[in-house]
Amino acid sequence: MSGEDKNLHSMSESDSEQEDVGKEGIEWIMNLPDVPMKLPPHVELQRTRVECKADAPIHTDTIQYSGAYASLGIDNSLRLDSFRKNFKIEVIDLKEDDMEFDMIGIDPSLANAFRRILIAEVPTMAIEKVLVANNTSIVQDEVLAHRLGLIPIRVDPRLFEYSDKDTPNEKNTIVFRLHVRCERGKPRLTATSEALTWLPNGSEFPLVSDKSVSNSKPKTYTSFSCSQDTLPEFANNPIGPKDGDIILARLSSGQEIELEAHAVKGMGKTHAKWSPVATAWYRMLPEVVLLEEIEDELAEELKNKCPVNVFDIEDIANGKKRATVARPRACTLCRECIRGEAWEKRVSLRRVKDHFIFKIESTGALPPEVLFTEAVKILEDKCERLIAELS
Amino acid sequence: MDPQPEPVSYICGDCGMENTLKQGDVIQCRECGYRILYKKRTRRIVQYEAR
Amino acid sequence: MEHGSFTDESKSTFSMADEDHTLANSIRYTLNQDPRVTFCGYSIPHPSDNRVNIRVQTTGDPAREVLKDACQNLMAVCQHVRNTLDKAVLDHKLTKPVGDINIK
Repeated sequence: MSGEDKNLHSMSESDSEQEDVGKEGIEWIMNLPDVPMKLPPHVELQRTRVECKADAPIHTDTIQYSGAYASLGIDNSLRLDSFRKNFKIEVIDLKEDDMEFDMIGIDPSLANAFRRILIAEVPTMAIEKVLVANNTSIVQDEVLAHRLGLIPIRVDPRLFEYSDKDTPNEKNTIVFRLHVRCERGKPRLTATSEALTWLPNGSEFPLVSDKSVSNSKPKTYTSFSCSQDTLPEFANNPIGPKDGDIILARLSSGQEIELEAHAVKGMGKTHAKWSPVATAWYRMLPEVVLLEEIEDELAEELKNKCPVNVFDIEDIANGKKRATVARPRACTLCRECIRGEAWEKRVSLRRVKDHFIFKIESTGALPPEVLFTEAVKILEDKCERLIAELS
Repeated sequence: MDPQPEPVSYICGDCGMENTLKQGDVIQCRECGYRILYKKRTRRIVQYEAR
Repeated sequence: MEHGSFTDESKSTFSMADEDHTLANSIRYTLNQDPRVTFCGYSIPHPSDNRVNIRVQTTGDPAREVLKDACQNLMAVCQHVRNTLDKAVLDHKLTKPVGDINIK
């Protein structure tokens, strides 16, 4: 009772003051001494949890509007300092190419923005132009070119520039050469990505032009002014494909492939070969709550129902057994535990709306934590561009 | 002006041997007598987009 | 590009080229959290065009300023996310050094 009175009192205060104060509204609300920050528990549950019922989830939207709880006198607006206080990242697993981490305290729109940028807008290097000099294998030229395009290249794309209209030079192109031949009489040869050799000096195929070549060095398909391996980054670690065991073609006796492949910088938006992640995804943290005490046979039944062993049995006094939730994180939302009328009342499956379990699987160009940092930087750049356009 | 500056080599459909033929030659493989000969792949560099 | 009226600065639609849900939804979130905003939303007129329209209506402040503030907020949030991630990765590497050694 007294709590409600307090709410009404502060609401009338905030109402009267808000007309006077314009821009300073945010700070003024922040300094109000008795703004109640607690919602009633059932409303708080609706605000922070998605209830996954047997047929469909409910309360799936995040309450973003700053005045959503104005009638209760509670301010829902973004406070940067409270965001900073509540935001957490916990790295669960970090390997060379994979990363699993938890982001707590962030909205799904931002999590989705990061995921979309990771998949489509973080640039990488991938083979774009394939110059075939000879291909007598049974893999057609264009099929071979397509396969070459999909090979992930282990190089930091930030060291290169985009090559829109420029001629290919050492700053925007990487040249590879593939020359395999299966000699007559020898058994079948498998051409793998191991055979792709890096040419730091650029293309070696001469450009056939109409006018007669007068100078000693003929023009090639690229114009490298200096060799790429003079650059410090590439001096000791040559550029090559990330995996050497990708099969490109199989050659029988007498068949030969000779080609040059030029790799340029691009984004996943244009073609999936430029996507730096095998994939990146997130899911919300599952929360499994037992609404009532589940004992003995029911507990056994519940434990056996779950295919991923979310539930466990613990013994309590008098020889009775009780079911507990041991591994809620493993829940895949198969809804086996709430099949049936009776079970829906006993178990509640929920998802925490602001806790995301992110998994990033990199194809190898950049390590996953660097990829995520780049994705965040790209979102910042987009904001900056928007601000620049508005000013 | 040569009609063909150099004799072109064709590949037999059966045994795979390279036969060079000039204009007016009988179209027949020298080794096995097969009468279907294929032209060799061009030596020009063809450019593809890896998409 | 802003479509609004010269007399009433508090309501206008901003049309952005080369953008999609990625930025628009994030901006909509930060805009919604600003107490000065009475209405905000975004729409994509046609999925084949790379264009987004963001509508902002405020309680009196010019919509352009509010949108700019929302962008600044979003940038601040992003920077904080980046810093937190860097710290978390560093912590993880310090506590679990064995898992990260590249045995090749």
